[in-house]
Amino acid sequence: MHFQLRYKVVFAWVIGLGLFTACGKNYDDPGTEFAPNMYHPVAYEPYVQIKNEEDAGKRVVAEGEPSDYESANSYNPYGMSMRLPVKGTIPRRNFQTVYGEGTNAVTDLMIYDIHRDSIEVAERTLKNPVPATEEVLAEGKVLYSRYCQHCHGENGKGDGLVGKAYKGVPNYSTGNYKTMNSGHIYHVITHGKGRMWPHGSQINPSERWKIVHYVHTLQQLD
Amino acid sequence: MYFIYSVKRFVCRQLLVFFLAFLGGSAYVVAQSANQDSTVTGGVVDTDGGQVPAGGSQPVALDPAKVEAGKTLFNNNCTACHALSDEVLVGPGLKGINERRPQTWLINWIRNSQKVIQSGDKYAVDLFNKFNKTVMPAYDFSDEQIVSILQYIDQQNTGGGANTAAGGATDGQAVPSGGGASVTPGEGGGGISSQYFTIIIGALLVILLLILLVLVLIVSLLGKFLSERKDLPEEDRELVNQRIDVKKVVNSNAFKGGVALIFLLIVGKVAVDSLFNIGISQGYAPKQPIAYSHKLHAGQYQIDCSYCHTTVYKAKSASIPSANICMNCHNAIQTSSPEIKKIYDAIENDRPIEWVRVHNLPDFAYFNHSQHTNVGGIECQNCHGEIQTMEVVQQVSPLTMGWCIDCHRKTQVNTEGNDYYDKLLALHNSKEPLKVANIGGLECSKCHY
Repeated sequence: MHFQLRYKVVFAWVIGLGLFTACGKNYDDPGTEFAPNMYHPVAYEPYVQIKNEEDAGKRVVAEGEPSDYESANSYNPYGMSMRLPVKGTIPRRNFQTVYGEGTNAVTDLMIYDIHRDSIEVAERTLKNPVPATEEVLAEGKVLYSRYCQHCHGENGKGDGLVGKAYKGVPNYSTGNYKTMNSGHIYHVITHGKGRMWPHGSQINPSERWKIVHYVHTLQQLD
Repeated sequence: MYFIYSVKRFVCRQLLVFFLAFLGGSAYVVAQSANQDSTVTGGVVDTDGGQVPAGGSQPVALDPAKVEAGKTLFNNNCTACHALSDEVLVGPGLKGINERRPQTWLINWIRNSQKVIQSGDKYAVDLFNKFNKTVMPAYDFSDEQIVSILQYIDQQNTGGGANTAAGGATDGQAVPSGGGASVTPGEGGGGISSQYFTIIIGALLVILLLILLVLVLIVSLLGKFLSERKDLPEEDRELVNQRIDVKKVVNSNAFKGGVALIFLLIVGKVAVDSLFNIGISQGYAPKQPIAYSHKLHAGQYQIDCSYCHTTVYKAKSASIPSANICMNCHNAIQTSSPEIKKIYDAIENDRPIEWVRVHNLPDFAYFNHSQHTNVGGIECQNCHGEIQTMEVVQQVSPLTMGWCIDCHRKTQVNTEGNDYYDKLLALHNSKEPLKVANIGGLECSKCHY
């Protein structure tokens, strides 16, 4: 009898553990979180979007009570946490305004309110505030490889892998493209031109000017 | 009786040796076939690369030198806006341009399109309006140069029949097909060798089963032979005629206990494993609202991660791209795909695309992307796995504290050309390399505060 009881206990354990572990791999399931309110906090997170209160309440322990974490944002459309910046405002903290040191320092506010159709104005008025040092060129090259290369190609020949599929990517070092000035290139990066769409949202002004320096070296290639 | 035992032992050993030998042999065969595959691939690419330019410059019934000059001029000045076919890029496609417009008009237009428009030419004004008043830049070409360009366009579209189909498609198209060829055979080669592998494994299994059958036959034959011998002592006879009583074995306590123990051990291990997996989402690969493929974008097209995840070198979060970044390419590429239509839909309705978050660190742990990518120079793949091969993004790393700490202990700090580390280096024992752990990478408050 003693043995049987022991077997029963063991058997119960085995069944219990078996059930506990019986869940198969589900790629859509992130698994058990041991401190859920640390993964889904009360505070609004930029990328979190809770569309309605019911969804927010799903994770609450007691039924009917409001959730103490993952609050729905009832003020923004679609329950989003992020909002668009106010129109016409410029986030200054992202923008470097002084370049060079000592007497060579150039102050540039980089607020260019040039309309996207006024590329001639950009060509005429914009001057590159970033000095063309070796360091800047190296940075420009890195930035070019990140934001431009897949279309414009490693040497600006318009032969990037995406560029071939996208079609209509110019070669920097031929025809009219060879002599395009800094203001023009800066304006095209910011607002796009022809088939190229604006990239101002991805690359900030100082980075654009560094890329402009590097593009000038690509224009000189054969 | 030791004879039979030794035969049995010998047979078992032989089995093992056979198996290992076959395994080694098959591995060698697989390696050999893989080598052959790679050399074949190299050959394909080479011949392909050789053929592309040959097809492109096939002169037909036109002055070859002129056409060649026209090709250079066209590629250098026109391809950004015009296709050789009738496809509209920025401006109209130039297929049949010589039939559409007289040569003198074309020459005037290319030299100074604005002048032609201002002269009130109806066709020019209509064209200008049709293409949203996009100004075609003026080109200071001679008559001869313009004629050569027109001849090149003509030759590409009409001359040469079958050649036109291959070479006539813009150079842009001809080259990627070559590039594609260099990728596909490589993958195909991998497929073939893995196929070989399964075939070899299957063949091995069949052979091993046959050997097993033969050995069982040998054993039973030997047993029969021995049992027929009359001069065997009783003990040996018992051994030879031994029959295993299955019922008895199953009912024995030892057997029951053994089975229970094994079962318990397995279940216990699984249970402990799954307990340790609480809070670890490794392998999580949720279905996303748009079937975006990193394999296609980051792998095949080699778009840099930061093109879309723009803040990965600047900020704590790597950022999820908004639809305008998709549109930089998808205004023109794959516009009719149902997956891409979802982007258009989101933009038209001013609605966010609700991507499912894959990597989620709890709030008690601080992690900063820029610190690792920009300062540390760590590749994205270090933590996110071979993202450029993933159709659906999967969490590859466990994102546990042990995993973080392990990397901080092993990773050497790149101090070269960075004045910030000068004093730290001076203080540090110079015999051992400076690891992240040595600059506070294990401090609790670095990540928990």
